[in-house]
Amino acid sequence: MNEIEAKEEIRLIKAMLEKTRQATAESGTLFIVWGVLIALALIGNYILAYFQEYEWEWLNWVAMTVIGWVYSVVYGIRKKRKEPVRSYVQAAAHHLYFACGAGFLMVGIALPALHVYSYEAIVILVAVVSGILFFVMGGIYEWPILRWFGFVWWLGALGMSFIKGPGKRTLLFAVLFVACYLVPSFFLRSKYKKERATK
Amino acid sequence: MTSEKFEPLDPIIHSQVRLAVLSVLITARHADFNYLKEETGTTDGNLSTHLAKLEEAGYIQVKKAFRGKKPLTTCALTEKGKSAFARYLRALESYFPAEK
Repeated sequence: MNEIEAKEEIRLIKAMLEKTRQATAESGTLFIVWGVLIALALIGNYILAYFQEYEWEWLNWVAMTVIGWVYSVVYGIRKKRKEPVRSYVQAAAHHLYFACGAGFLMVGIALPALHVYSYEAIVILVAVVSGILFFVMGGIYEWPILRWFGFVWWLGALGMSFIKGPGKRTLLFAVLFVACYLVPSFFLRSKYKKERATK
Repeated sequence: MTSEKFEPLDPIIHSQVRLAVLSVLITARHADFNYLKEETGTTDGNLSTHLAKLEEAGYIQVKKAFRGKKPLTTCALTEKGKSAFARYLRALESYFPAEK
């Protein structure tokens, strides 16, 4: 073995690490599915508010959450069955998704239903959990821009706490959701497609 | 640089296919046989021989199961394999001139 052969071995190791990283990259599918469901729930909220049918708002959110969870669980099981390789990064990310999913259920549905706090606080706490999701994802996938989206969610949570009235708060939440959830979800998807194309 | 300065390379890892397999498994919890075959660009028989060597040395764990009606072989790195891979990398470093 000489220096040239050693360099060749290092190149091989790096190439295999890169191939595994590409094969286990986040597809962003679940992010887009949840994005569509939350967008529908927000639109539903405004329609219900327009007709002043506020008592049905909870059903709108619960229905979208149930659909999202059922889809996520089925998608996760099918994907796990088919995947040829599972990286530690994927395992960490899946734990994060589950933890944040459980967090959204707690702060968005369970705790307000138990009257722990007012329904007006839901969007603020959801923004806090979203910040954690994007900040940690940025670290796991070594993609700093996702961490910045996390910071914006946290700033948004602080901003919403200064806004009075659920309507205006939900409007700011909708803006945050488009800018800091839908936009990075499509970034993830396009990054995944580019990586698949170069593989 | 004299040859005495070079650290010996583990002969079990010092093969292109086996090094490639371990490089995949170092970041993966597990990988299936077909994935390893595709990524290492080798044949079924060749890969089986290399995996058997790594398994004999205790560097990887090979599990055989069924996915539906199809047989499924999955491989995962053991703690011994992780340590051996780390030692191999350190030994490789000795082949590069020290940076001043």
